[in-house]
Amino acid sequence: MISQTSIFTFIDTVLVMARKELTIMIRYPVEFVASFIQVFIIVTVLTLAGMMFSPDGVRASSGVSNTAGLVVYGFILFLFISDVLWTIGYNVRRDQKQGTLEQLYLSPASKFANLLSRVVVTLVWTGLLSITSSWIMSSMIGGLPMNNVPLAIGILLLGLCGTIGTGFAFAAITLKIREAANTLANLIQFAFMLLCAPFFPFSGLPDWIRNISRLIPTSYTVDAFRSTLMGYPKGFPELAPIEVEIAIVAAFGILMPLIGYWMYRRQENIARTDGSLSEY
Amino acid sequence: MGKPTFSQNFSAAVAETRLRLINISRYPGQLAMEIIIPIIFASMPMLLGRATAGDNASANFAANTGTTNYVAFLLIGSNVFTLVSNAFWHIANWLRFEQETGTLESIYLTPTPSIVIASGVAIYSVGRGLISALLAYFIGCLIFQVNPIQGDVLLALLFIFFGLLPLYGMAMLFGALVLKVKESNALIQLMQWVVSFLMGIFYPVAVLPPLVRVVAYLFPPTWMVNGVRSSLLGVGFFFGQWYLDMAVLWAFMLAAPLFGYWVFTRVESNVKRNEGMGEF
Repeated sequence: MISQTSIFTFIDTVLVMARKELTIMIRYPVEFVASFIQVFIIVTVLTLAGMMFSPDGVRASSGVSNTAGLVVYGFILFLFISDVLWTIGYNVRRDQKQGTLEQLYLSPASKFANLLSRVVVTLVWTGLLSITSSWIMSSMIGGLPMNNVPLAIGILLLGLCGTIGTGFAFAAITLKIREAANTLANLIQFAFMLLCAPFFPFSGLPDWIRNISRLIPTSYTVDAFRSTLMGYPKGFPELAPIEVEIAIVAAFGILMPLIGYWMYRRQENIARTDGSLSEY
Repeated sequence: MGKPTFSQNFSAAVAETRLRLINISRYPGQLAMEIIIPIIFASMPMLLGRATAGDNASANFAANTGTTNYVAFLLIGSNVFTLVSNAFWHIANWLRFEQETGTLESIYLTPTPSIVIASGVAIYSVGRGLISALLAYFIGCLIFQVNPIQGDVLLALLFIFFGLLPLYGMAMLFGALVLKVKESNALIQLMQWVVSFLMGIFYPVAVLPPLVRVVAYLFPPTWMVNGVRSSLLGVGFFFGQWYLDMAVLWAFMLAAPLFGYWVFTRVESNVKRNEGMGEF
């Protein structure tokens, strides 16, 4: 029974666990709708704030706008990355609090499938949010540039794989620091907003902060994704040539899930050994 | 057992404030985040504006808002947002915390009226919010190299002071919501963003559509944030003169706490009669 590791069993496990997550989600319709509306309000607030610096004020610019591309594509990545990063650790913490984490680890189900299933529903949900919020933002700021779409999707997927890996690593940290993970997640989210520049070009950052940004692979995901969709206008990508950025994003997407999963299993073994898996 | 005297009630309120202060002193990370978040939040549109508008950033901003000092304008918005969020969350979390730890029923068995305990929480919340907001404003101005003390500082402080009373009156509505709905985090989070949108966190409310603007004028935070901005940056009071805007805030100061208290006590007696305070 324990050695059943075929790909079909794996997919089946992911789907069953994802269904469980979806069932929980739809049992709280108020929360569901509120989070949807909340994203739109945040989008509107940030868009209006950005427009205060435009000579046209709150009038949308006619035609395709690179500023719109910069903000909207950055926002899409922000939604995906913050949701994916946070969801895995949050769900592990929820299981820990509800007392079901220990039981889950006694079952023969794949641990990888268990972690991965936590983000499946989030990815679909965030995808829907992204499409709708992009539409709202572009109607307020101006048309979106849409160049090299297949390549941009590839960059997005690689970036997401890397972020899922970071999510695994964050889940490992959650097992260790427990309740303090909330504060850490907030800190990471705000650090991402500043260092990875999803809402503004990297040129807006002082040089010393931009040097820190260069050390974070997610910065290259943001830069490569939006520069590709904008058709590489003058000055973009900002951190490195596009070939270098794609190579960094690919390495991040391939290696980070392995590293993150390794970190998670290691912390999980430590928690099992010292008997702290169900402690919270 | 007779009714508690004024000094006994005052002592109970101070004890509640002290309890909250001791509790939060154990989580210094949360306090640090409360100072960092408004600065990062305000820096998003700032960096976008600087990068996209370049040398025209100040001029464009002045054309849309009435001041060239966009750093102070945005920081005031994000810090008033902190005050608003604190008011909503601290009152709501106080009740939810007592519900979850099973102490709410016991509190309601003591002769101390619930409004006295709520006042203690409000004093703690005001102190925490004001210190965080002022520190964030000064640190933010220091980081972005603008003078934080300009214009009529005393008048700005008066607008904050008189704005806080109706704000906590509104917060009592969220207390009532927690008593009734229990798990109401999503709704409170949503309302926090709705209020931030309506009060013009990063823009003047004049940019909102007429109908939305009318709704915005019904919220005390709208008058508070504009009062502070007008006092410090001279963006213009809604009625042209500071005392007219202040008069509106005074009207809110009388109406909002009474309305909030009335709703809270109604829900409270309803819950006491029908479900009991111990349920969560």
